[in-house]
Amino acid sequence: MMAHELAGRAAKALAGRVEEYIVSSAVSRSLMVKYANGEVSVTQAWKDYSLTVYAAKGGKVNVASYTSSDPLKALASLPELLERLSPSPLYAPLPQPSGVSLSYVDRKLKEAALTGDASAITVDLGGRDVAGMVSAQYSEIHYFGSNGLDLGYELTAYNGYLRAFKGDDSGQWAWVSTSLEQRMAQEALERAAELAELCHSLPKEEVVGEHRVLLSPMIAGNLLEHAADASSAGAVIMGFSFLQGKEPGSLVASEKLSIRDAPRNSSLPGYRGFDDEGVATEDKYIIERGVFKGFLHNSKTARLMGARSTGNAGLIMPRLFNIEVEAGDLREGELLEALGEGIYVNNNWYTRFQNHLEGTFSTVTRDALFKVRGGRPVACSRRARIVGSMPQLLMNIEGLSRERWQLKWWEIDTPSLVPFVLVSRAQLTSVST
Amino acid sequence: MTSPDELLRAVEEASSAGAEYAEARYHRVEGLTMLFLNGVLVGATQPLSEGVAVRVLYRGSMGFAATSDLSREGLREVVQRALAAARSSLSQLKKPISVGQAFLGSARYSVVERRPLADVSLEDKVKDLGERLKGVELRREGMKVNNHALTYSERAEHKIVVTNDGAMVESKIPRVSLFYNITASAEGKRANRWNQLGAVGGFEAVDALNFQEEFSGDLDSLYVNLVKASSPPRGVMDVVLGPEIVGLAMHEAVGHPSEADRVMGREAAQAGLSYRRELRVDKIGSELVSVYDDPTIPGSYGFYLYDDEGVAARKRALIYKGVLAEMLHNRETAAAYGTESNASARAIDYRSEPIVRMANTYMAPGDHSFEEIVESVREGVYIKKYMEWNIDDYRWGARYVGLEAYLIRGGRLAEPVRDVVLEINTRDFFSSVAAVGKDLTFSAGTCGKGEPPQPLPVTMGGPHVLLRGVRVK
Repeated sequence: MMAHELAGRAAKALAGRVEEYIVSSAVSRSLMVKYANGEVSVTQAWKDYSLTVYAAKGGKVNVASYTSSDPLKALASLPELLERLSPSPLYAPLPQPSGVSLSYVDRKLKEAALTGDASAITVDLGGRDVAGMVSAQYSEIHYFGSNGLDLGYELTAYNGYLRAFKGDDSGQWAWVSTSLEQRMAQEALERAAELAELCHSLPKEEVVGEHRVLLSPMIAGNLLEHAADASSAGAVIMGFSFLQGKEPGSLVASEKLSIRDAPRNSSLPGYRGFDDEGVATEDKYIIERGVFKGFLHNSKTARLMGARSTGNAGLIMPRLFNIEVEAGDLREGELLEALGEGIYVNNNWYTRFQNHLEGTFSTVTRDALFKVRGGRPVACSRRARIVGSMPQLLMNIEGLSRERWQLKWWEIDTPSLVPFVLVSRAQLTSVST
Repeated sequence: MTSPDELLRAVEEASSAGAEYAEARYHRVEGLTMLFLNGVLVGATQPLSEGVAVRVLYRGSMGFAATSDLSREGLREVVQRALAAARSSLSQLKKPISVGQAFLGSARYSVVERRPLADVSLEDKVKDLGERLKGVELRREGMKVNNHALTYSERAEHKIVVTNDGAMVESKIPRVSLFYNITASAEGKRANRWNQLGAVGGFEAVDALNFQEEFSGDLDSLYVNLVKASSPPRGVMDVVLGPEIVGLAMHEAVGHPSEADRVMGREAAQAGLSYRRELRVDKIGSELVSVYDDPTIPGSYGFYLYDDEGVAARKRALIYKGVLAEMLHNRETAAAYGTESNASARAIDYRSEPIVRMANTYMAPGDHSFEEIVESVREGVYIKKYMEWNIDDYRWGARYVGLEAYLIRGGRLAEPVRDVVLEINTRDFFSSVAAVGKDLTFSAGTCGKGEPPQPLPVTMGGPHVLLRGVRVK
C-alpha cells in the first residue's frame, strides 16, 4: 500500500466521527551497516508502514501512532476513546493549510534502501580500527486533514558516523545528507583517523581549569542543539527551557552567534514544505546576532502563549526540523592560530542539566582533546568534563569558522549544519581524579 | 499477530538458505500515554508498534531485518532481507561471528494484572491520576511552584521468540510508569526536579509507585534547595549517599561497563567502551561491595524471565566482595568470551536487534541503619537526591550533583547545602565504601543504548552508603 492510499483510507475512517483530524502515513525502507573493531558487526534492513493520527472533538485532543500491518484496524477505536477525554487547555482549531509539497530523492539512495543492497553505502575502512555506522533511508509520506490538508513528499537520507582508534586514542566525525555523497563518509573517516593519530603522537596531559576552547562541529552541534531545543514552546511548557521568561529581542548570546531552524534546506533530512498541521514551513532565526527571536510554535502552543504558529508543528508540541548555525569568518586552517593558547575539543557526550531553568549543565568530552600553545597542539588528553551554564557559554562565543559540516549522530538528533565554535572561556574538570 | 508456527517456518526457511543461526521475534507493544499539565489532562496518545524481526548468521556474518508487514509474503521477504543483509557484508568480515550454546527455553509466561490495563476505562484512569495529583499539597512557605507536568504511560508488551536451535518463548509483560517535572522559584532563584517511577503489572501497579509520597518529597527537595540551603562545603570529607544516587552509580559505573558487547568494542562509536577492557586487576573496591543485576525480581520495571534470544534469565553477580565478577552476555558475546549467555539480550520493539542490556542493577544491602551510618561521620555531607550526573564513555569518571543535601556534623544531620558536587572515579568510589546500609531501595529508569536508539525500562537500586574521605567540589 502506498502512503497516499493508507492516509486516505484513514481520513475516510475518521471523517464524520471526529470534528477535526490530521492523518499522516509513512512507508519507509531503511538500511544500516554497523562497524566495530574495523569490520562489519551487523547489517540491518527495515520496512515499515506507519500511521500517525491527530483527532479532536469538543476541545478534546488525541494522538495515536501505529506501526503495524493493519493500522486501520487499530484506528477504529480512536473516536470512541476521544469521547472519553476531557477538553484540553492546549486545544486550538486546526489552521488553514498553507504549506507546499517539497521532495528530495536521491535515486541511488532510494535504490539502496529499497533493495537492501548494503554495498551501495558501505565505507571502505582501509584496514583501520574503526567503529560506527552508515545508513540509507527512503520515505514516502502523505498527510490528509479535515482542514483541507492534502500534501505529501518523498525524502531520502544518508547518515553516518565513524570513530577511529589509534591505540587507546580516538577521533570521531559524522555526516548527514539527503544525497548519497560518499565523499562525506570518506572525509569523516579521514578526519576521525587524523585526530586519533595526532592524539596518539602527542604527550598525554590532563586538562583542568578555565581555558579558551575551540569546539569542533561535533561538540558545538550537540551543545547548540540543546540551546535550540530550549526555544520550543513545548520545552517552556514542560519546564525544560533556560529561555523560559525571555522576551523576543533579549540578548541571550554573543553577537557572533546566529542559529536558524531551516526546514527549507534541501541538503538536510528535516527538509519540509509544511509542518504537521499543514502550515508552511519557513527558515527562521532562533537567535540572530545574539538576540533571541522568539519561541517555536504550533497552533496549540501559540494560542496558549498568545503567539502565532511558526510552522513548527508536531501534533502536540512544536519541533525543530533542521538546525543551521551561521558561519563566521575564521578559516578552518586558521582556527588553532585564533585559539592561540587553549583547548581543542573533538567530541562529547552525556550532556546533563543540573537546572534546566538556569541552564547549568556539564558534558563529558570523548575522543581527542588537544592542549594548544602558540597555535599548535602540544599535548593530548583523552577526556575531560566541561562544566558551566548554557547562557554563559552562548555569551562567551568569540568566533565561528567559515566552513560548516552537515552532522547528525547519537548526540546530535536534529540534522544540523555547524561550524567550529571558539569560546573565550570554559571551565574544565578532570574525569579521572 | 504472527503465530509461533509462522515464526518457526521463517527460521526454517533461513536455515534452509544456509543460515547457521536464525531467530524470529514477533513483537507487539501497545500503549497509552496521558499528559497532565498543572493537574489538567492535556491529551492522550496511543502508540502501537507491531512487527516481526528476523536475525540470521550466515557464514559468520550477522544480518537483521524487520517489518511491520505480517502477511505471508511480508514474512518471506523479511527472511530474505535478513539473509541479503548478512551476505552483503561478507566481504568486510575479518573474523566470523558465532552464536553460543545457551540454556534455552520453551515456555509461555505472563505478568498477571489484577486490574488489567485493558479493562480499566480511560475515564477511571484520568480520574485516578487526577485525584492523586490533587492529593498533593503544593504549598511550601516561601516557594512558588510555577508548573508541573505529569506523563502517565502504560505499555503492554507481547513477544514470541523462536530460534532454529530450539527456543520458543512467548511472554506478555505490562508496564506502567509516571514521569514528572516540577519547576519552582524562590527568592529570585529557579530550579526543577524531574523523576520517573515504574513497575510491571496492571493498573494496580500505579499504587506501588507511591506517586504522592515521591512527588511531595521532591517538592520538599526543591524547597530545601531554593529556600533553606547555603553554599556547599569543599575538600576531602566523608560522604553519605542516598539510595537514589547509589542505584544510579551501580547502573552507570558497574552495569554499563559490564556489558560484554561494550567491552568487545561493538558499541564503541555509540555508548562507548568500558574500563573492563583496560583494568589489569579485577579488584575494584571494598569487600563490602557486591553488585548484582537480576531480571527476575517480581514486579520490577526491568522484569523478564527469558531474554530475546530465548535464554532463561538468572541473577548475575557483576561485583562480588569488591572483585569484578561476570559480565552481561548475549549469545554472540558469550561465544566470543568462551562462556554461556546469561540472558542479557533485550530489544525494545520489532525494529530493534537484541543487544546486551541491564535489567535491575543494584548494590547488595549491608547491615547498617541510616542512623548508624550518619552517626559514624564526624564531619561530612549527606547527598540525598541528585539532578545532574554524567560519566565518561569508559565509565570511569563520574559526576553527581546533589539537589538535596545536608552537612553532617558530630554524627548528626545539620543544615542543608545546595548543589554539592561529587566528581569521582569508579575505583575511588568503590574503594572508599566504608559502610553499606540495609535499606535497599529501587528507582525506575529508562536506559539508553543502541543504534537505532533503544530506550529500555530498567531499575537501579542501592542502600545508603558511606564513602570515607572523598573529595567534594
